[in-house]
Amino acid sequence: MVYSTELLKGTLKTIVLKLLADNKKMYGYEITQRVKELTQDKIQITEGALYPTLHSLEADGLVTTETEYIGKRVRKYYSLSVAGKTRAKEKVSELASFVQTMTLLLDLKPKAI
Amino acid sequence: MTPLTDEQIDHIVADLYAHGIRLEGLRDNLLDHICILVEEKLEAGGDFERVYATVIPTFYRRELYELEEEALFLESLRGPHLVLSRGWFFVLAFALVLAPWLAYFAQWFFFERPVINIPYALDAIGWAVALDVYPLLTVIILFLTPNRFDPLIPWGSKILLGLKPLIRVLSQPAII
Repeated sequence: MVYSTELLKGTLKTIVLKLLADNKKMYGYEITQRVKELTQDKIQITEGALYPTLHSLEADGLVTTETEYIGKRVRKYYSLSVAGKTRAKEKVSELASFVQTMTLLLDLKPKAI
Repeated sequence: MTPLTDEQIDHIVADLYAHGIRLEGLRDNLLDHICILVEEKLEAGGDFERVYATVIPTFYRRELYELEEEALFLESLRGPHLVLSRGWFFVLAFALVLAPWLAYFAQWFFFERPVINIPYALDAIGWAVALDVYPLLTVIILFLTPNRFDPLIPWGSKILLGLKPLIRVLSQPAII
């Protein structure tokens, strides 16, 4: 089962921040592949959602970028800034609390993925 | 992996630009991602044009520009907002620029040019009209330029109306 876009939309920043917290630096394609791999294809981040989010995180100063030239094209690597590291912890903690609350609210029992 | 040639990369860059992707960082990201996908598919066989034509629609729902719209929208959510929508901005801008002209002609029409008795009134009006031409042209250019072609707005217009960030904010959805 692939989760709906609506369900994922509010969690995308958290996912990206957490991935960047766990990996020193990543580029866009790498992020999409890592998410697919970790979730066994259940979560597939679209390019249409990922890149605007990365742009927004950069504008907010939560990530920093460095570029690498591969022939004529540029690869942008993202890594967390100091503020980004703090925000990543806050967002993960907020989401964990939210999941816990939803579990209670919907009377769900946690299952393995 | 079959690396793309410089010409093929140039083709993708030009296509992204033609589809309204103006943010350089976003364009770099998309270019890299598209190149990876195209190179992977070329490895399995096929020609560049055909593979590219199948890859690019996977990036959007209606048109590619929606990625840039989304990026600009997310960016606009932070910090202070301009409280006017694009529509209201132009209503006020046109009113501000055209009001002195309309006021003068109304005076002339209804009261038979009473300003003629004021010293230097005609000189002042003449200068006001002359100085009004550039702002008026600028507002007209901005008004007629679609949001997606923002970079085509003349540099002078951006200076006059408050630099590029203001124009970017104006291209966002209405806040009021």
